[in-house]
Amino acid sequence: MDPAPKPVLAAALDQLWTRFLPQIRERVSILKSAARSLAAGCLTDPEQEEAGAAAHKLAGVLGTFNLSHGTDLARQLEVFYSAEGTPDPIFAAQAASLASELHTIVETRG
Amino acid sequence: MAHKILIIDDEDDIREVAALSLETVAGWEVITANTGAQGLARAIEHLPDAILLDVMMPGMDGPTTFNELRKNPVTAHIPVLLLTAKVQSSDQRRFADLGVDAVLFKPFDPLTLSTEIASVLGWK
Repeated sequence: MDPAPKPVLAAALDQLWTRFLPQIRERVSILKSAARSLAAGCLTDPEQEEAGAAAHKLAGVLGTFNLSHGTDLARQLEVFYSAEGTPDPIFAAQAASLASELHTIVETRG
Repeated sequence: MAHKILIIDDEDDIREVAALSLETVAGWEVITANTGAQGLARAIEHLPDAILLDVMMPGMDGPTTFNELRKNPVTAHIPVLLLTAKVQSSDQRRFADLGVDAVLFKPFDPLTLSTEIASVLGWK
């Protein structure tokens, strides 16, 4: 590969990150909200489905912006919310912790 | 050699990062579509050298779009690479059984995506 594209690509990726940050934040927000609902024992099927879809999309995209740990965390949440049946509220704190860590990763990307 | 690639993905962030990557790193021409139906139409119109096809899309999903591409004599010869965030081995086997040319995984590295495509398709 020509060495020139690397800085050009990095700068363009930063611009795309800024542009897509609102929808990435929205997906993280869905995951935080689902964890709160789970803790309160009122996670609905549509909320669970939405959380699974948000986690799936984050898992797919964060690594492309050099946030591979974010992809790992999102993948854990995807598996969690995509399992059959309502997740046990006993795991709500873990889901909240993963969502919170995702939030930090997204908000601190350089 | 400048190749022409069609990217079909409903997620605009993934679609745009992939397009940026292939254009900037490899200098390839990129056409995009955000639905399976739009992808079919663009494939017929532009006859790309390869198609990068998302699996999970609302409406016509990736496997259905792939089957439609293969049914049409105009597009049947075009190599198709599935792009998926699914990493479970059962999913991988299912996708491979479809008869696609390759399965690539999200997240991809924008710096090496074009190399990966060229490698699996045997492009120099």
